[in-house]
Amino acid sequence: MSNRRSSLRSRLGGMARGATAFGVVALVVAGVAAAATLRTTHRTASTDTFVLANAVKIDTLDPEQNSVNESIWLDQNIYSRLLQPNATGTKLLPDLATSWKVSNGGKTYTFHLRSAKFSDGTPLTAQDAAYSILRAKALKGGWGFLLDAVKSITATNAHTLVIKLKEQHAPLLADLAMYAYSVLPQKEVQASPTGFFNKPVGSGPFMVTSLNKDTELDLAANPYWYGKKPSVKNIKVEIVPNDNTRVLLLQSKKVDAIENPPGNLINQIDKYPGLQSDLFPSTRVDFIQLDEHFAPLKDPNVRAALNYGIDRNAIVKLAYSGHATPGSSYMPYKMLYWNASLKPYPYDLAKAKAALAKSKYPHGFNTYLIEVSNDVAGNATAVVIKSELAKLGINVDIRTYELLTAYSKEDGGHSEMGQRYWTNDIIDPDEVTTFAVDPQGGANAFSSYWSDPTATKLVHAARSELNPVKRAAMYAQIQKIVYQQSPFLVLDYSPYRYAQGKWVHGFHVNPLGAYNLSLLDMTVDSH
Amino acid sequence: MARYSFVLRRLLQVIPVLFGITLITFFLLHLIPGDPALQILGSSYTKARGDAIRHALGLDRPLVRQYLLFMQHLFHGSVGESIFFHEPARTVIEERLPATMFLIGYSAVVATLISVPAGIISALRQGGIFDQAARITTLVGFAMPGFWLGIIFILIFSIHLNLFPVNGYGSGFVGHIDHLFLPALTIALAFSTILIRTLRSSTLAVLAADYIDTAKIKGISRFRILSRHVFRNAVVSVVVVFGINLAFLISGTVIIENVFSIPGLGSLLVDSVSTRDYPVVQGVTLVFAVMVVGINLLTDVVHAALDPRVVLE
Repeated sequence: MSNRRSSLRSRLGGMARGATAFGVVALVVAGVAAAATLRTTHRTASTDTFVLANAVKIDTLDPEQNSVNESIWLDQNIYSRLLQPNATGTKLLPDLATSWKVSNGGKTYTFHLRSAKFSDGTPLTAQDAAYSILRAKALKGGWGFLLDAVKSITATNAHTLVIKLKEQHAPLLADLAMYAYSVLPQKEVQASPTGFFNKPVGSGPFMVTSLNKDTELDLAANPYWYGKKPSVKNIKVEIVPNDNTRVLLLQSKKVDAIENPPGNLINQIDKYPGLQSDLFPSTRVDFIQLDEHFAPLKDPNVRAALNYGIDRNAIVKLAYSGHATPGSSYMPYKMLYWNASLKPYPYDLAKAKAALAKSKYPHGFNTYLIEVSNDVAGNATAVVIKSELAKLGINVDIRTYELLTAYSKEDGGHSEMGQRYWTNDIIDPDEVTTFAVDPQGGANAFSSYWSDPTATKLVHAARSELNPVKRAAMYAQIQKIVYQQSPFLVLDYSPYRYAQGKWVHGFHVNPLGAYNLSLLDMTVDSH
Repeated sequence: MARYSFVLRRLLQVIPVLFGITLITFFLLHLIPGDPALQILGSSYTKARGDAIRHALGLDRPLVRQYLLFMQHLFHGSVGESIFFHEPARTVIEERLPATMFLIGYSAVVATLISVPAGIISALRQGGIFDQAARITTLVGFAMPGFWLGIIFILIFSIHLNLFPVNGYGSGFVGHIDHLFLPALTIALAFSTILIRTLRSSTLAVLAADYIDTAKIKGISRFRILSRHVFRNAVVSVVVVFGINLAFLISGTVIIENVFSIPGLGSLLVDSVSTRDYPVVQGVTLVFAVMVVGINLLTDVVHAALDPRVVLE
C-alpha cells in the first residue's frame, strides 16, 4: 500500500510541479512584460527636468491653509507675493511689487505692482493682491494676527496697492513676504473656492500640470512669468515617506535630490560616487522648555545650573552626528538682528554645581522631560540631558509621547521640562520674539510662563521702531536678557538636510526652507 | 438555498457592529490628548489661535453633539471634511481605496500562485528536499519583517536590475501591475508561509484517508483523484485561513505602503491619526470594518459551498 501511495504521490507531484512552473512563469512573464512595457515611461536622463523626492505628502496648495512645510516650499514656486526673502533669508527682494513708498509717519505703504500675468494668461491686478491678503488675514486661526496693525488694504488702480496701518508696524514688509500672502486670481478662487486648489493658477515661475497629493506634483515653466525663464523646464516632486526608499531612489539616479535623508546615512551618502549631502543653515532652534509652574524651574540658579550642566557639544555630536551648531540666542542662527556676541553656555560641571548650591535645591530634585517618539535626534538629546543632569543630583524621568500628545502636555501649563523647536515663517525677528518673550504673545514665552518687564517693553518698542539700527540694538538687548535669565534652554541650531546628485548644479535652500529662487538658475546635467 | 440563509442574518448583524465601531473609534480618538490645531499651528501655536481653529472646525462643541453630527452626516453619505486635506473626507478615502484594494487583491493572487503548488508538492514529497526547503523558506519568510524584505527587493529588482519601479501606484491596469508587483510579492511571501503550511498539512491528512485508496482501487484517474478528492478536501481548511489572514491584511498593508510610497488607506489611516484628522479616521475605520465583515462573510459562503457538511447559523 505504501509503495502505491508513494507512486501516486510521485505522479501527483509531477502535476504539481507543472503547476508551480506555470505559476512562476506566468508571474515572471506578467511582471517583466509589464515592466518592459512601462520602463520607457519612467524617467530618463534629461537636462530640462528636476526630480525632487519629498518625505511628506502635500496637505494643500492653498497658501493660507498650509500647515506642512514641504507644501509651503512648493507654493512659493507657483505663486508670487508682493515681496520675497532673498537666498540667505536675511533681506527682502521685490517680487510683484517693484517699488513701495512709506508715508504718513510709517502708517501708509503704497506699492507699485509690475505688469504680470497668471499662468492662464489673465492679467494680475492690484485688486487680486488686495483680495488675497485680506482673504488670508480673515482666516480664523491663520496668519491674520501678523497683520493686526492693518487698517485697510485698497487697490487704487490696476497696479497700485495702498495699505494703511493703525500704528507703525516695522515687520509689515516681512509679513507680506510670507507664503500665506501669496497673490491669487480673485475671480477664479471665488468661482471654485475648493476646486481651484486642485489645479491652482498662480503667477510664479512654475505652474501646476498635475497633482496627486499623496504621490506626485508636476510643475512646468510658466510661460507668462515676468522673470527670466528658468533653464529647468519641469519640476517633478515625488512623495516618498520612507527614508531608505528616498536614499535608494537617489542612488539609482531616479531622482535628482531628496529631502531629509536620515542623519545616520549622511556620511554614507557622501562616500557614494556621484552623490553629496547638503546641510543648509535653517531657522530651526532646538530648546528645552522649562515650565515655571514647577517650583525648581522658576529658580534662576537652577536654570543656570541646567545651562552649565548640559553639554551642547555632546548633543550636537550624538544627536546630529556633528551636523548642528550649539545654541546661544533664542533667535534662529544668524537671522536678522541675531546677537553674535552671545556664546553658547559652556559645559562646566563646577559652575553648574556652584549655581545649584546657591538655589533652594542644592542636592538636586526629581523632574521629567517630555520627548517626542520617533524623533531620533530628540531621543538622543534626552538621553544626554538625563545622564548629565544626574551628576548634579537632578533625576530626569524621560517620558515619550507621540508628537501631538507631547505638545498638548507641554502647552498645558502643568508641565516640567519638554523638548520643543522653533522655525521662522518670516525673516523679521518680531514673530519669534513675540512667541518667546512677550507674555501677551499667546505662547506664554514658549510655555515657560516667564516674563520680564524690560524685555516685554522692548518687544513692543522694537515692533514699532522703523530705524533698523535702533531695532538691532533693541533686539540685541532682548536676546541678552533671555540669555541671562534662560526661561528655556537653547540647545542647538540644526540644519535642513538634503542630498543630491553631483549632476545637479545650484540647488540651494534658504534658512526659511524655500528653494524657489535656486530653481530659477539651477541646471541638471545628463546622468 | 437554506444553507445560505445565514448570509442575510449576517448582513443584519453588520449594522450594530458598524455602529459600535463608529462609537468606539470616535470616543477613543477624542480621548487622546492633542488636537488638529496643534498640528496646523506647529511651533506658532497659541491658545487663542488654537481656540479659533477648534471653533472653526466645530471641535469646541460637546463630544456627544459632535458624534451625533457625525452620525447625521453619515446617514447622508458623508463623513465630513478632512482637516488636513481641506476637502471632503469621502473624496480623500475614495481616491486611496483603489490602491489598497488592488494591492490586497494582487497580493492574494500572487500568494495563491506561490502557495498552492508549493503546499501540494511539500505534502506529496513529504520529507524530501523540496519539502525541507519549503519548511525553511516559510520559517524565514514568516520571521522576515516586510519593511526589510521590501527594501531588499527594491535594491535587487529596482536598483540593480532596473526591472520594477521603486515607488508609486502607476496608472492604468498594466501600470498598477507593474508598480505593485514588488509590494504584492513582499506581502504575498509573508502571506504564503501560512498558506503553504496549512495546505501541506491538510493535503497530508487527505492523502492518508481511506477514500483516496478506495478511489484508486476503483480505477479513477490520477488527475481526478487530485482535483476532485485531494485538492477539494484539502483546500477547505485553507480557505478559512486565507479569509482570516486576508482580513488582517486589509489594515496591515501600512508598512508596505510606506516603503513603496503607495497612496493607500493604511498609510492614510496612520497619518490621519497622527494629525488628528478625525473625519478621515472615522471614514477609513468604517471602510475597513465593512471590508473585514464582507471578507469574513465571503469566506463563510465559500466554505459552505466547498463543504456541504458545513451548516452556519
